[in-house]
Formats: sequence, C-alpha cells, structure tokens
Amino acid sequence: MPRKLISLLAVAAVALAAAGTTAEATDATRVALVPGGPHPYFSAWEKAGEDAKKDFNLGAADYRVPQKWELNQQNSLLESLLSQGYNAFLVFPGDPVGSNATVQELTENGAPVIATAGCLKEPTTALFCFGTDTGNSAYLGTKQLIKAMGGKGRIAHFTGFLVDPNTQLRIDAVEKAAKETNGAVSVVQVIADIDAPEPAEEKINAFLAAHANDIDGIVTTAWVPAVVAANALRRIGDKRIRMVGIDHDEVVLKAIKDGFVDGTMLQNPYGQGYIGSYALDRIRKGCKVKQDAPFKAIALTNRFIDSGTVYADKGAVDNYVGSMQAITKQIFGGFEKTYLDCP
Amino acid sequence: MTSAPYGWAPASAARAALSNEFGLVALIALFGAWFALATPGFASSFNLFTLGRIAAIDIMIGFSMMVVIVSGGLNLSVGAIGVCSAMAFGWLSQRFGLPLPLTIPAALAFGAALGAVNGQLIVRSGLHSFIITLATMSVFFGLMVFITRAEAFRSLPSQVLAFGRLRYFGYVSPLIFVSAAVGLLLAALYRLTPVGREMLAAGANPAAAELSGVRVGRTFVFCHMLSGALAGVAALMSIARTGAAIPSMAGDLGQDWLLPAFLGPVLGGTLLSGGRVSVAGAFLGSALVSELTNGLLQFRVGEFWLQTYLGLMLLAAVLLDLARRKLVARLGASP
Amino acid sequence: MKLFALPRADWFGPLAIVLFACAVITAFAPSFLSPFNIQILLLAASVNVVVAMSQMIIIAIGQMNLAIGAIGGLAAVSFAGLMQVWSFPPPLAALSALGLGAAAGLLNGALIARTGVSAFVITLASLSIFKGADLGITRAQPFYNIPASVKAFGNATMLGPIPWLALPAALVVAGMWRLLYRQKVGRFILAVGGNANAAELSGVSIERATLWAHGLSGFLAALAGIMLVGRLQLGQPSIGDDWLILSFAAPVIGGAVLSGGHVSVFGTLLGVVIVAIITQALVIFRIDPFFVQVVLGLLILWTVGVNRIREVRLSGVRA
Repeated sequence: MPRKLISLLAVAAVALAAAGTTAEATDATRVALVPGGPHPYFSAWEKAGEDAKKDFNLGAADYRVPQKWELNQQNSLLESLLSQGYNAFLVFPGDPVGSNATVQELTENGAPVIATAGCLKEPTTALFCFGTDTGNSAYLGTKQLIKAMGGKGRIAHFTGFLVDPNTQLRIDAVEKAAKETNGAVSVVQVIADIDAPEPAEEKINAFLAAHANDIDGIVTTAWVPAVVAANALRRIGDKRIRMVGIDHDEVVLKAIKDGFVDGTMLQNPYGQGYIGSYALDRIRKGCKVKQDAPFKAIALTNRFIDSGTVYADKGAVDNYVGSMQAITKQIFGGFEKTYLDCP
Repeated sequence: MTSAPYGWAPASAARAALSNEFGLVALIALFGAWFALATPGFASSFNLFTLGRIAAIDIMIGFSMMVVIVSGGLNLSVGAIGVCSAMAFGWLSQRFGLPLPLTIPAALAFGAALGAVNGQLIVRSGLHSFIITLATMSVFFGLMVFITRAEAFRSLPSQVLAFGRLRYFGYVSPLIFVSAAVGLLLAALYRLTPVGREMLAAGANPAAAELSGVRVGRTFVFCHMLSGALAGVAALMSIARTGAAIPSMAGDLGQDWLLPAFLGPVLGGTLLSGGRVSVAGAFLGSALVSELTNGLLQFRVGEFWLQTYLGLMLLAAVLLDLARRKLVARLGASP
Repeated sequence: MKLFALPRADWFGPLAIVLFACAVITAFAPSFLSPFNIQILLLAASVNVVVAMSQMIIIAIGQMNLAIGAIGGLAAVSFAGLMQVWSFPPPLAALSALGLGAAAGLLNGALIARTGVSAFVITLASLSIFKGADLGITRAQPFYNIPASVKAFGNATMLGPIPWLALPAALVVAGMWRLLYRQKVGRFILAVGGNANAAELSGVSIERATLWAHGLSGFLAALAGIMLVGRLQLGQPSIGDDWLILSFAAPVIGGAVLSGGHVSVFGTLLGVVIVAIITQALVIFRIDPFFVQVVLGLLILWTVGVNRIREVRLSGVRA
C-alpha cells in the first residue's frame, strides 16, 4: 500500500505541475478522439491525432479508448475527459441514440463534437457526421462480389457489433445489392455481432464447417470477421468461394495477393481523425458550419460528410496507403471552403 | 452470533460498526480533498454532477446484491435481471406507449418476478445460490437477447432522459436522492419491520431461525425478489442516464455489474456469511469506489489499470475487515 | 446387477447424450461428421476441456475460482508479448506464461488458505487485479506478431482430422485422472473437498491441498490461454472473458458436486464435448446463436437438479 500511495502522490505532483502549465494555454484546442471501445480500426486515429496536433498547432489531440465496448464506459470516459479540460471531441457513438445525451452535455459545456466513423441519430447537437458511407461501401463491395461470382450464387454476410450504428445499414445494403440481381444472387446467412476474435473464430469456423458447400461468396463488413474469414479460407485452401473484405488488415491484404480473397473495401480512419481534428479547431476559432453545405443524407442523419471509400483488388493492394492518402488530401483541400463559414 | 440476536448490536459492537462507516466517510472526505486539490477538473460542478449520477447507480446495484448477501447467498444474475427489467420497460413504453406510472412499476415487478424464480429454484433444490444464479444469469440474458433480437429501444418517453439530466444547484443529480431514499427504506426494513428481522435471522442461522418460527424458505424468496426489484431500479436509473434501453448496458450476461455489486456491500461491512447488514456502509462503500474511479481517471492513471486498483481495494477491504473483526473479538465484544 | 450399476457412473449419462445427439444431428446434416467438422469440434473442445479442468479441480476442493478467465487472459498476452516485444522463443515464452499462471493461482490459494476469507471474494478480487493488468499491459490492443510455429500448432492437424491442439488437451485429461485417483495430492484435494474437518483430523493439510489445487488451476488456465493464442493467431486481451459459465457447466454436466469431494474427469470431458456439439448444432440448424446462452444455462439447471436427485437417492436422507 505505501508504495502505491507514494506513486499516486508522485502522479499527483506531476498532474499539479501539468495543470499549472496547461492553465496558461486554456484557449488552445484540445481534441479527444474517442472510439466506442478497443478495436484495430481506430488505431489509425492515434497517428492522425499526433499529426494533426503537429500540423495545426493544437493543444492536444489525444486518442482515448474506453476499456470495453460498452456505452456506459464510453459516457463516463467522455464526461471525465470534459472535466479534464478537453474542449473538442471526435466521437464514435457507442449507440446512435444512447450517446446523444452525453454528446449534448459536451456541447452544452462549449465543446464541439463531430460524430466520426459512425453517426448519431437526429436530432443531435453534434456538428455533423464524418465517416464512411457504410451503407454505400457495403453496397459497392457486394456488387464487386457479385461480379466476381459471375452474377449468380448464394452469399454469406459476416458483420460487426449489433450496437454499432453501422451494422444495420450494412445488412440492409448487402440485401439491396443482392435484390437488384432479381433472384440470381441471394443472401443465405447473416452472422452479426462477431467483431471480436473469439466469437468470430467460433462462428465463422462452425459456419464454414457446416455450410461451405452451400455458399459461393462471402462479404464481410467488419474488420475482425474479414480477418478471420480470410484466414479460414486460407486454412481450408479454398479458392472457389469468392470473398470481399473490408479495411486494411495485413492478413486480408496478403490473402488478396495470394488469391484467397478478391478485394477489400478500404475505409479512411486516418483521414477521419486528421481532418476531423482540423475541423474542430477551425470551429473553435470561430468558423461556423454552413447550413446549406452539400451534405449527404443517410438513414441516421442529414448532415453527413463522406470520408471516402475505395475498392482495392489484387492490383491496387500494394499501394493502398497511397490511395487513402490521395482521398484524404482531396477532401482536406476543399473542406473549409465547402463546409465552413469562416470569419 | 452469541449475545447479539439478529442485527441488533449491543453498545460495544455498535461502536465497532460505527467505526467502519465512520472510516468510510473519512476516506471519502480525504480522497475528495486530495482529488480536488491535485486535479483541475475533479471539483468542477460538471464532474461532481456526473460523479453523483454514476455513484447513485452503483449504490443501487450494491443494494441489489446486499439484500441477497444478507440471506447468506449470492445473486450473480443482478445484471441480467436489471437488463431484462430495462428491456421490459422499453418494450412496454415504446411498443404499447404505456405511461410511466404503469411502465415503471411493471418493470420493477418483472425484476421481482425473475428474482422470485431464482429464490424458488434455490429453496426447492437446496442448491447453493451461486450455481443457480450462474445458470439463471445465462437463461435470463439469453432469453432477453433472443426475444429482443438485441435491438435497443430508443424512443422512450422524454421525461426519462429529462430526469437523468436534471441538475440541482449545478452539482446534484436527483438520482442520488432516489438511492438515498431507497437506502433509508432498506434500513427501516431491517431495523423496524418483522420481515426485515426475519431476513437477518434466516441469513445468520437458518436452522435456528426455522426452529424459532421463521419461514426460512419464504424469507429467502423475498430476499431474491427484493434483489430483482432493486436491480430493476438500478437499470431504470441507467436508462435515465442515456435515454435508451440497450441490451448491452450491463455487459455480456450482465457481468459488468458483478464487481460494483460486491464492492459496495463488502466495503461497507455486510458479511458474506449473512445475517448482518450495514445499509449506510453499502451506500458509503459504493460511493467511495465511484469517487476513486472518477478521481483516478482524472489523474489519467491509465484507464486500463482501473480494474486492478478496484481489485486491490476489494482485497484490502476484506483483509482489513477481517483484522478489524479479530480485534473486536479479542476486545471481548461480539463481532 | 453390474449392468444396473453402470448408469450410476457419472459419465454414463453424458456419454448417452453425446451419442444420441451425434446420431440425431448426423441424420439431419451428414456434414456433421465430415473430417473438417470434426477438426473444428476438436479445436474448440481442446481448449475448453483445459478450461473445464482448471475449474474442476477447484470444485473438487469445494471452492470456486472466478479468476480462471483473467489468469488465462493475462498468460495469453504475456505469452504473445514476450515473443513479440522481447523476442523470446516460443517454448521459453510458453514456460514463462505457464509459470505466471501457476504463480497467480498460488497467490489465490495462499490468500484463501491463510486468511480464511471465502474463495469467492478472493478470486473476485484477483479476477479484477489480473484482468486490469491484462488490459493495462496491452491497452486493450492485441499482439499481432505470433510466430508461424505457434499458429501452426494451434491450427494444423496431426493425424487425419485430429489437430495438434488435442495433444495437450489429452495429456491434461490423462494427467488429471492420474492425479485425482492415483496420487496422494489428488486424494487429499478430494478429501478436503468432501469433508474438510475429517480430512484435517486424519492428517491432511488443508493449506497444502488448497495451494496445490489453486496452483494447478492457474497453470491450466494459463495453458488454455496459450493454446488459444495459437488457435486465434493473436494475443487477444479479451481471452478468458467468456470462460466462467463454460468452466462450471462442463464439470457440473459431468457429475461434479459443487460442495466438493466428488468430480468426474471423463464426465467433465464429455460435458465439454456436449457443449461443443450443441454450439455447432445451433449453427448447422441455423438457430439463432443467441440461443446458446439459454441452452447452457438450462443445461446447468437440469444437470444440477438431476445430480441433486441422485445425491439424495444415493444417501437416502434428505440433505
């Protein structure tokens, strides 16, 4: 106990000192990038925050993660971050409605909030939603899969957490793409809530063991199932079943190069973190969001800005970083002019 | 339990009991002062407001476990029952548009009913409450997820969220008053009513209680029903905080509630062997844990190490309590 | 008369269930007994049987260990971390992680034996401590760089559809059987679980039995964690989060008495197989996977009920 006490006191002393120094720069924008929970997709936000802090001279752009994928944890963390002095937030909503209450408390205390990579349901006090148009991405990915399957067959869809606002959008989009083939292609199974290694491994393996001969294509719209499915196809040595994945995990990219997976829908987490931090800083410096900006309308909100998505197949895989950087640069270049009114 | 029947404490033991609660108050005050001085944000009105809100919910979760510990048993399904109550509330409110004066009691009654299932299974089978509630935790949660297809209820009456956002004098959430009121009612239950005294007697020594006319089986079922209802209250308070009834609100199978459920009562001096309760202690214990969690987060002491600190605190509390009781026994008063 | 005694054996019921279930499922879905499916079943069951044994030995001594998941997770990330960050060779990393698990278990055992505080509270506290350490070390991010040899061990097959992972599992089952029924320590553990006072009076050291049981439990939990790292191909911090129910369900289905003193190694093994079959069957028949939880819980209730009836009938006295 004494040792813990001493270390706690030491931390307190440092905190006091830190509090002293930050007190001088109270006007600096301190951004907190807060995902819904631990997940490999958001690790790009950490670097994005660091780069944004450097490039735009921010007070802070810190990546802070709730201990687990649970709404109350995220809410407690957000409340604590506000009390710790953060005054701008990029938040992936733990729940499209359940997060609204806390977001409102943040904005009422003067901190602008941008819903990032996942949207809040209107009405919301968040400025806008900046992320992948997940419905569109899933739709395009499925269309690519259908093309690879030769226009007909049965699809299995593996997707993310049920608490993720994007999941239902993705399920609907895949269904829509299949319907457009007028019966040639059908979605025979949807397995959701498997965006974590153990349930993904268990359920995908069990599914393939039982039904591998009953499907012709797999579309995965969440990071972890994409990795697990790619590994599973490689393990059973299957190149008959076509697959389209999502995101840029090494495992998926290698599987594309080796021919087990046809391609992947890249998202732009780095761009979301980088441009989002920039936007928050501009807002705090007096810019306002244009009422008549060319927002997209999606299921949850009318104020949506697309952070970009690109299909990468075997040819494009090696330069995926380049593709995403190009998109980020393009969005960044026109962002302020398109969406903000600045003094 | 020699010269002290039920939970009534003779003067010397009362002093000992008092020292536990007093100790908790002192710790709360000390840590509070330290956090307020050492961090810029702890003492802000916003932080104290949100801290109070979270503490109120944790206190209620602690109460829900406490009433079962008193009977000498355990209720691992508090989280699962809480979530089931919450989803029942959501379903009645959103699907049928029933008004709050109907849905709130209905949700609590549902929680009590699930608790009754636990109680009956335990009493009828004679098995330890640990394994029964471990199983019912799975069954209740699984059925709930299966029935609701894990969909949340997001269109709840606006008064619910409004209540959670109410803020008196900028510092105080009314949720604290709810917890305090329930605490007072529980204290009255154990001190003043025959039912409460029977619960303590049955928990302390079921055989002796049976012989002295207490219907031990029925009393245990009441304890579990009360636990279920209190879990429902905690879940409704949690809904007030977010404005939505979400199936994952207490973690997988409701597991996330287990640690706070035990920490409060154990820190507060409620013995796991049953028969002895300290409502004030459970209240203060949960409050202390919430305060420490909030303060440690302010220090940015790696939010991931939080659980380790809580575990160490539980261990320390249990060992200290053991030492304290040994000391009291040696001094001649009954523990 | 001997034949009538057979149903009394703990493993008879579970074995009957396994055979029946296999027959029924294969009738509807012949792919159930395909080599690939058997491989999947064995991969799942191999890890789960080690988890179940880890809890079973604590049930044998009449206690409960809530921390096996946390110990397993901590050992798993330590194993992965030692290899990735400090470039330990896999065997050394595995030994270190196993040692860590045993040490964690011994800590639990020592606290329980020395302080007399209930195993429930001690392991609840240590669960938080180890889980927090697990998350703190990894910041909730998995270790991705797992050596190919470890990945192969966790996934490749050894003989036909039988995976390499089944080897440590089989060794654990055999070892546990020998320990409990042939070694002194095992008999002491069962004696303490059955009647601690009587055991103490006849010279058995409760403290030593407790230390042995918890040390072994921690060791086995760590082993399961390591095996999972191989199978999942990453050092995932959330390993162990969902072990609690399973760790009790399998021994209970196998005939374990929760107050201690009576467990069945083969019964527990069959319990694990039953759970694996049920999980698979639900996927095959496209029944909502959420239903697994309900089935597990009902299964526990049913078997403890049945065990209780057996217990009462055997003892002839209302306990």
